[in-house]
Amino acid sequence: MALAVALDDQATFDNFYAPTGTLQYLALSCLRESKQSYFYLSGEAGTGISHLLQAACQNRPGSVYMALDEVSEYPAENVLQGLEERTLVCLDDLQTVANQPAWQDPLFHFFNRCVDSGTPLVCAAHCPADALGVTLADLLSRLKSGISLHLSDYRDEDLRRLMQYRANRRGLYLPDEVARYLLSRTTRSTRTLMSALDAIDAASLASQRRITLPLVKSIFNL
Amino acid sequence: MASEMPEMIWNQCQAQLRSELPEQQYNTWIRPLVTDNMPLDQAGELRLLAPNRFIENWVKSKFRLRIEELCSEFCGRALPLTIASHSGDAPDKKGFQSEARVDKARSVPTAPLEREREGSLYLASSVPADKKKTGVAVTSAAEKSLHSNLNASFTFDSFVEGKSNQLALAAAQQVAENPGGSYNPLFIYGGVGLGKTHLMHAVGNAMRVENPQAKIVYLHSERFVADMVKALQLKAIDDFKRFYRSVDALLIDDIQFFSGKERSQEEFFHTYNALLEGGQQMILTCDRYPKEMEGVEERLKSRFGWGLTVAVEPPELETRVAILINKAAQAGMILSRDAAFFIAQRIRSNVRELEGALKRVMAHSQFSGRTIDIDLIRESLKDLLALQDKLVTIDNIQRVVADQYKLKMSDLLSKRRSRSIARPRQVAMYIAKELTNHSLPEIGEAFGGRDHTTVLHACRKVRELETVDRELQRDLKNLFRALST
Repeated sequence: MALAVALDDQATFDNFYAPTGTLQYLALSCLRESKQSYFYLSGEAGTGISHLLQAACQNRPGSVYMALDEVSEYPAENVLQGLEERTLVCLDDLQTVANQPAWQDPLFHFFNRCVDSGTPLVCAAHCPADALGVTLADLLSRLKSGISLHLSDYRDEDLRRLMQYRANRRGLYLPDEVARYLLSRTTRSTRTLMSALDAIDAASLASQRRITLPLVKSIFNL
Repeated sequence: MASEMPEMIWNQCQAQLRSELPEQQYNTWIRPLVTDNMPLDQAGELRLLAPNRFIENWVKSKFRLRIEELCSEFCGRALPLTIASHSGDAPDKKGFQSEARVDKARSVPTAPLEREREGSLYLASSVPADKKKTGVAVTSAAEKSLHSNLNASFTFDSFVEGKSNQLALAAAQQVAENPGGSYNPLFIYGGVGLGKTHLMHAVGNAMRVENPQAKIVYLHSERFVADMVKALQLKAIDDFKRFYRSVDALLIDDIQFFSGKERSQEEFFHTYNALLEGGQQMILTCDRYPKEMEGVEERLKSRFGWGLTVAVEPPELETRVAILINKAAQAGMILSRDAAFFIAQRIRSNVRELEGALKRVMAHSQFSGRTIDIDLIRESLKDLLALQDKLVTIDNIQRVVADQYKLKMSDLLSKRRSRSIARPRQVAMYIAKELTNHSLPEIGEAFGGRDHTTVLHACRKVRELETVDRELQRDLKNLFRALST
């Protein structure tokens, strides 16, 4: 019988799925240790980089997380102004602005201000710094100056374990057959899978039923 | 009443907003907002602080109504809401701005010059954290204990000397021993990530050792411009001038960013003259030789050359190896010479990127519990090395060399022996030997089926010429750079 309580599942280090030996594990370890003053993460959507950045901010009061794809149309100077005074700055989706000339100088100056004020900076993009299309050499060399890790997609087996791990964190039991069923019928993106998990969680809670194949089929009309 | 504490109400609002908004939006716009902790009965309103003006305006336009609704709901009465930013104008409440600075626990060197609402001059870099928190104005007496933005780890001891930076290092040491002397200004130029900033800080730190009271200010050119703009806005340009002209040494990094900023150049010109006349030391760094700067007034360019102008070149292999071993030791790690050699051979672009690669290797070693060997390096730098391998095929080397000398690929592979073709061909063979693992016969084969002794001769010839021919040195530098980044 499912409990009538929805557990909080916001992005934290604890609910980040990172099998030992993977780059996800290395990225998690580096961010958790937080000794580095600068860190660059890259990987396609669904590799967990946004989760890691948001978790890093959850972990540090006074920090700021900025998804640059939302603000790419605005003047970079205004967006970045004063952020170096925070305790940690995480800039996500760098690929949406890095090749824009209007963003390169401000990003370069912002990087310097972070160094000067000792503020740790974490940048993330879908691709390695070399592939961002940055034409300002000063900025590119700074983006490559720290630990940079390119995370690859989770394998199917990892995705299954990831779903079960996140379900477990919410107090749900997701049987193997259900996880495999979902994987074979949805796109292999963690975002889609987590949305599916949200829907299953809600439906299971509302109907007070355990998670079974028939329940999942009925939720998604499969 | 506990529920009247703004933090509690705001926590409830945040919890509700977290359930309503996508996680990314919540984390970007709502999570960084903080209350000013004043009890509601004193303030009569809930006041939220955003990290900057941009976030403040975004929150006001997109979330204000919902936040107001929620606040009123949780408070049980209509609750006025004020949203301000740390770095913007605070609401007209006494103490608000100074409180806004409190949340960061440590001292934050911001702009050297700020004018606070009360109209007192702040030297942010000289203000201890506790003074900042309470908003105590800095007097001229406090200026004497000025802490500049000098990075204490950038010293002459931690600088690795090599052929590429020998002259710049010697000049910097001279300046440190005799500031304001004949090497004024010291103008250091060179490509990105080659140690210009390190040398500049090293001079400042050495001067500080000699004279702990010395007012040494290090800043990026952007900060000089920003301070000047702020001073103009606040009608405090005289304070600005007084501050910058009162230092014992002014260290400005990356002055190429003055390009096109005429008003800043004008102000800098006067500051420059005043400092030089006063015998105060100036050190400037730039990505190019003064005369080659674009968008900078001629009178400034000519003055930049009045003192000593020195170049920093990309480090050669031996220096790169020494830098890696040195940096690893500073981080408490042991890096064998073989391992350092392996990395240094592959990362040639600049020291900053070399350090980035080393940090990545060290992180892999630390979290996997493995010692640093060639296998671990290959694994850690897999993507970087793959990119390199893609760039440094013989085919690509031939293409890049042909481009550099405006030749056709077929010319390089032909039997023609005219100097204009034979020399680039020798250069291409030399680079192929340096950057790839191909044998001499393989390289000869790739150049139109030539004998391995031809390749050997080409390599010897280019090495010999490299020591005397400056044009060839420049060509090689450009070619190696093009093939390594």
